[in-house]
Amino acid sequence: MMSSVINRVLALIFLWGVTTVVSAQTPEFIIEIREHLFYPSELKIPAGQKVKLIIYNRDATPEEFESYELNREKVIVGNSQGIVFIGPLKPGEYPFFGEFNPKTAQGKIIVE
Amino acid sequence: MTPTLRLLPCIIFTVTSTAAIADNPVHHNGVNRVYEPYVQPLEREWEWRSYYQTDDDPSESDILRQRIGYGTSINERVFAELYLNAMKLPGGSLRLESYELESRIQLTEQGEYAADWGLLIELERERSESVSEVAAAVLVSRQWGNWVGTLNVGVEYEFGSDVDNEFETFMSAQWRLRYRESLEPGLEFYADEYTRGIGPVLTGLIRGEGNRKWHWETGVILPLNKTTPDVTYRVLLEFEF
Repeated sequence: MMSSVINRVLALIFLWGVTTVVSAQTPEFIIEIREHLFYPSELKIPAGQKVKLIIYNRDATPEEFESYELNREKVIVGNSQGIVFIGPLKPGEYPFFGEFNPKTAQGKIIVE
Repeated sequence: MTPTLRLLPCIIFTVTSTAAIADNPVHHNGVNRVYEPYVQPLEREWEWRSYYQTDDDPSESDILRQRIGYGTSINERVFAELYLNAMKLPGGSLRLESYELESRIQLTEQGEYAADWGLLIELERERSESVSEVAAAVLVSRQWGNWVGTLNVGVEYEFGSDVDNEFETFMSAQWRLRYRESLEPGLEFYADEYTRGIGPVLTGLIRGEGNRKWHWETGVILPLNKTTPDVTYRVLLEFEF
């Protein structure tokens, strides 16, 4: 009885997972972190479309890409890269910052 | 309505329908927290949780549970945390009840798919009785505009010489408005073999110097059946550094 119930739950979760998988055709944009600054500090992306940000941290120290407006946070250890998916977004400006160096590492995503 | 939304009530019904019409085991309360499926590398935290319940049955009222834990990420996908769990019964004093090891695993990048996926693995050992529990749960979260829905569905196996070995299922869910970083109101739902509770919660984040953060949650969970305490107050405080 209990195992059949668990199987039902797992089957439903699997179905949910299958229905949430989306296409891999996602535009990619690159951001670099150098000397605790984001390059570019302003990045334009298309509205209404999911995009993939590849963030290279060229510094030896870690940095965190953080944005409440984008609902994203991602720690990128030194000399490595991180992936952040954002969108689909409405037109507008979405600020982000580096949590480990918030006074210098700042930028914004411009959606148009 | 999306397929995800259509399936959500089915999942909730499936788990809640397993709640047996049985006597509530003594001092059982399935109110916990709702876990998000995210892990950050280099993440460390201290966590404190407190649950206080009242009930019209005096033996189930004035019960306090305290939980303190230290956690650290193992890598960019896996986070592990060790807890000490204590409980105060009516008229008694707070005493250490159990040890617990918990691991959270992030399976997908946030925003990569229509929903974000993770796993939770727990191992708990009672201190003074031969009772152990191992549990595994699927963590799912999805954002709709300014709203975030998170669902935890799991299976638990309880074993030992002082307990009947058995499987149990549990579920928790949270529906939260991203109002502002420091204050996000929401609604939580909990269900297991005996518990069915729902109630409002407030959560938020307060930033400190550098990467130091305080994450807080508080809520009041009210019963949907007779085997859930009349009121459960819950508080959580996490210090990330």
